[in-house]
Amino acid sequence: MAEHSGPDSGKHKANHANANSAALLHGRAGAGTGAGGLSGGLSQPAGWQSLLSFTILFLAWLAGFSSRLFAVIRFESIIHEFDPWFNYRSTHHLASHGFYEFLNWFDERAWYPLGRIVGGTVYPGLMVTAGLIHWILNMLNITVHIRDVCVFLAPVFSGLTAISTFLLTRELWNQGAGLLAACFIAIVPGYISRSVAGSFDNEGIAIFALQFTYYLWVKSVKTGSVFWTICCCLSYFYMVSAWGGYVFIINLIPLHVFVLLLMQRYSRRVYIAYSTFYIVGLILSMQIPFVGFQPIRTSEHMAAAGVFALLQAYAFLQYLRDRLTKQEFQTLFFLGVSLAAGIVFLSVIYLTYTGEWYAKIHIPIIASVSEHQPTTWVSFFFDLHILVCTFPAGLWFCIKNINDERVFVALYAISAVYFAGVMVRLMLTLTPVVCMLSAIAFSNVFEHYLGDDMKRENPPVEDSSDEDDKRNPGNLIVTMLMLMLLMMFAVHCTWVTSNAYSSPSVVLASYNHDGTRNILDDFREAYYWLRQNTDEHARVMSWWDYGYQIAGMANRTTLVDNNTWNNSHIALVGKAMSSNETAAYEIMRSLDVDYVLIIFGGVIGYSGDDINKFLWMVRIAEGEHPKDIRESDYFTPQGEFRVDKAGSPTLLNCLMYKMSYYRFGEMQLDFRTPPGFDRTRNAEIGNKDIKFKHLEEAFTSEHWLVRIYKVKKLDNRETLDHKPRVTNIVPKQKTAVLDL
Amino acid sequence: MQSLIGVMLMKFVLGQVKGEEEEENTLEVRETKVKGKSGKFFTVKLPSPLVPGAKIRVSVEMVFTHVLQPYPTHITQAEKQFVVFEGNHYFYSPYPTKTQTTRVKLASRNIESYTKLGNPSRSEDMLEYGPFKDIPPYSQDTLKVHYENNSPFLTITSMTRVIEVSHWGNIAVEETVDLKHTGAVLKGPFSRYDYQRQPDSGISSVKSFKTILPAAAQDVYYRDEIGNISTSHLLILDDSVEMEIRPRFPLFGGWKTHYIIGYNLPSYEYLYNLGDQYALKMRFVDHVFDEQVTDSLTVKIILPEGAKNIHVDSPYEINRAADELHYTYLDTFGRPVIVAHKNNMVEQHIQDVVDPAAEARMKVACITEQVLTLVNKRLGLYRHFDEAVNKYKQSRDISTLNSGKKTLETEHKVLTSEIASLQSKLKTEGSDLCDKVSEIQKLDSQVKELVLKSSVEAERLVAGKLKKDTYIENEKLHSNKRQELVTKIDNILDAL
Repeated sequence: MAEHSGPDSGKHKANHANANSAALLHGRAGAGTGAGGLSGGLSQPAGWQSLLSFTILFLAWLAGFSSRLFAVIRFESIIHEFDPWFNYRSTHHLASHGFYEFLNWFDERAWYPLGRIVGGTVYPGLMVTAGLIHWILNMLNITVHIRDVCVFLAPVFSGLTAISTFLLTRELWNQGAGLLAACFIAIVPGYISRSVAGSFDNEGIAIFALQFTYYLWVKSVKTGSVFWTICCCLSYFYMVSAWGGYVFIINLIPLHVFVLLLMQRYSRRVYIAYSTFYIVGLILSMQIPFVGFQPIRTSEHMAAAGVFALLQAYAFLQYLRDRLTKQEFQTLFFLGVSLAAGIVFLSVIYLTYTGEWYAKIHIPIIASVSEHQPTTWVSFFFDLHILVCTFPAGLWFCIKNINDERVFVALYAISAVYFAGVMVRLMLTLTPVVCMLSAIAFSNVFEHYLGDDMKRENPPVEDSSDEDDKRNPGNLIVTMLMLMLLMMFAVHCTWVTSNAYSSPSVVLASYNHDGTRNILDDFREAYYWLRQNTDEHARVMSWWDYGYQIAGMANRTTLVDNNTWNNSHIALVGKAMSSNETAAYEIMRSLDVDYVLIIFGGVIGYSGDDINKFLWMVRIAEGEHPKDIRESDYFTPQGEFRVDKAGSPTLLNCLMYKMSYYRFGEMQLDFRTPPGFDRTRNAEIGNKDIKFKHLEEAFTSEHWLVRIYKVKKLDNRETLDHKPRVTNIVPKQKTAVLDL
Repeated sequence: MQSLIGVMLMKFVLGQVKGEEEEENTLEVRETKVKGKSGKFFTVKLPSPLVPGAKIRVSVEMVFTHVLQPYPTHITQAEKQFVVFEGNHYFYSPYPTKTQTTRVKLASRNIESYTKLGNPSRSEDMLEYGPFKDIPPYSQDTLKVHYENNSPFLTITSMTRVIEVSHWGNIAVEETVDLKHTGAVLKGPFSRYDYQRQPDSGISSVKSFKTILPAAAQDVYYRDEIGNISTSHLLILDDSVEMEIRPRFPLFGGWKTHYIIGYNLPSYEYLYNLGDQYALKMRFVDHVFDEQVTDSLTVKIILPEGAKNIHVDSPYEINRAADELHYTYLDTFGRPVIVAHKNNMVEQHIQDVVDPAAEARMKVACITEQVLTLVNKRLGLYRHFDEAVNKYKQSRDISTLNSGKKTLETEHKVLTSEIASLQSKLKTEGSDLCDKVSEIQKLDSQVKELVLKSSVEAERLVAGKLKKDTYIENEKLHSNKRQELVTKIDNILDAL
């Protein structure tokens, strides 16, 4: 701005006019996006300002809520994807059987024949929250189905997230930045991706709990009051009950304290806050059955304990230093102790994350999940848009004017960036801090370029009014540019939400050339068939992805599901799928399987089907049964995975292949392709003559997306068990006769 | 004599008489028992006693459910469905039958076998037995037909119909339906390929059916436990809303499905009121598909909070269960719910059930209201006439008096006859209010006499035939008497 070439004084008037319009713009920006310039509003009474803040927060809530409703409007109020179906099912159990029944719930319909102790293996926060809301509404006789509570929970909580982000950013910077941050978090795709209506998952409420805990932590560090710390512990307790990501908090807060110690920023406030938080938070977190004794046993919690010990030692030394005079000895002693503690802390962290690396590399089941893949640059931009560019600026502003709480946000940003780079799903923890820091950056810029106008209206202290005037065209351009960026950000957010994150994935839609929509409801068709027309205790084998959906929609017993706690059981299912029919029949008989369900996308070109996932099944099976299953058998000698004639014979005769393509060889989809042409893999299938000996087709959905096979009972057993044949035709003489 | 062989229905439903003019009158039918005989017997009440030697034509319609049995009981997807019908060759009755013909109309021409009593004639899809002569009472002889029948054997195994009446002008209807294909059970695999490529594969399966909803139905939804069922179409016609319902999957023999259908209706079409008494007139069971069979039906009628004095009239016998309470929309003490059950219902049961606030009582209230207005109007007439008399006294113009008298006479006649007709209506309703109305009529005629008398005296006064003093004295007497009578009438009216 200073470099801006100075125009001659003749332009003075025009510049003045520009300044006025900039002031006008500023007013609009304040109303629309909560620009930071508000805080400089000297002429505004405080009441008006808080009314404006309240309005902006309310609008942010409303905007966040409504932009999450695409799926409900396009489809219906339905639970999405996979995990939410389990959450919904257990919430339904909670709502219909009560809290204690839920805590003691042993689900015999999952992991047959093992079962699952649901109460002890879930983070109950989500279900309890939804159940509580449902209970309160029903107490007031407001009739709401539990499904609708579940569907709309995440959008409602996004508003609470916006408010807690506002509070946190206000503590870190100022009110204007807080309002901007609230607006950002309300619509940013990185958070929407996990919180659209219907996505009833832990993350939906956990991000609120995370932000609120951090706000209360910053507040307690600032004030050093036990009251705020206890509030922080309660919020932390809620977070622990809601999501496994609480580990992030219990590592970040100690890290903050540790860095404060290193920066010689120790104070009684920090001591009180952390000591209280660690003890009360630890005890509270251990009340969650699923967490239990982990906080004092596992490595990811050890850093917190180490920092606690260090803080006590440090405080003790401080105390001693006041009493004793041997300054040098003490400094030496302090250095020794802090070094030792630091080494312990770092090695613990190292072990923790190398442990996770180990898991990632060596357990295929974790690697097979798409959301556990490393994040690409594209998805950073896709999920955060302009914020990804502006948040380093915000970080720099924070570091430039450092204080206790800004140390915290800097650490938050750095660690979240690291984790987001490791795994796509951890993008979620990065999003709030990016919103906050970008808001600080934007707020700073606005304050600089718009705040000047305010000063000029009141007679300035400095006399160089010419210089001010010279900057004005630049001011306008910068402000316009910023507003353009924000506008494009809003457009991008809406577009991404609408196109990428608003598909229930249970119901698919395709569009014809004329824009009309076809709904492909094959999943529910098949699941509902299972629910209505199979024995209530029938056991359905499928790949684990569909376990929760089968349990939720078909209400049938499954062998494996998305709670992948037992790798060998999954490997057994993988082995059955990748063996030939005879070997698979042995396995299925030993597992009491009645039906096998597979997903086949070859008819409509659905790419997420079981054949495309098949190599993971083989790999997981190979991990447990290396003698029977070898991945290399499923490739051609050239190392390709092909389903056509050139494919490996092992693949062409394995159970999964046969079930997918049974009678598909006869089917000609259109005239340009031969019969048995797989649209997903664009190949004519290699084995068209598929016969089953032990299985029979039980159901295939309309677009062949879901195919269900029945496992036949042993032939010779059936005859032994045979009852004398009876016919159903009982003479109906008495009732059929026409009496009058 | 028509002996209807319903596709699959089992209960006697209604008797009809066809008079000489082919006017259909439904007869009253009651179930009775005959000693020593099994089966169901019914007494039919004729409109007038049948004199010896006279003739009457009675047509009886009976509907049976679950009579057709699939045989073979299990078929594959490619096979056709055959059923066996077992009935009686003869008209089963406690009276001797002089002559009888039995026609059996079948669903197809493909007949495997049938009983050959009396060498029946067969044409296309029709079998004709008889004529049989002089059959003794209670004759039975098994009639058996085995033939192809691919019509959908859908049965509603259970259905719950909830009617929620709101005082905001809306009636919400929700039906929860359990459907089962009760034909021959599917044996072996279900092949989607065959089903899509071969037209006669799974010929007896049910792809879709039509449900006819009331014309005013709005906001129709069709869903089940796991959400909206996307395979349905709604067609809005002038006199109904037709909904093409496709279950999520085609229904083969032995397969079941379950769904919920609901819609809103404006209450002005079904809810009538008089003052604060309301009557709801709605169908007890509505159309689900043609020739429907409902094994078990529960109807719940949720009335607005605070509804009292609930009475239910139904066209046929229903089993009332204990009333329940339903809480919704911030209710405090709950909405009364009428619960009724009925088993084994067919399409012919689609009839209205009238609900709260006894209709008869309402009718009476309606009539008395009318009586009240009429009587008051009539009393008003006398006042008008008085004015005319006064005018006459001042102007001494006889024509005003005469015209006044004329209007009084004509209007009085009209009103009196109207009241009389209402009185007879009350009598048919069996109300004791009828006597009171007749008392009013008597009192009124006395009032009229007095009024006329006074007018005559006024005439005489004007003509100078009467002294003023006597006139005033008489007039006082008359008006006192009149006042007495009018108060009497008012008292009776208040008591109505």
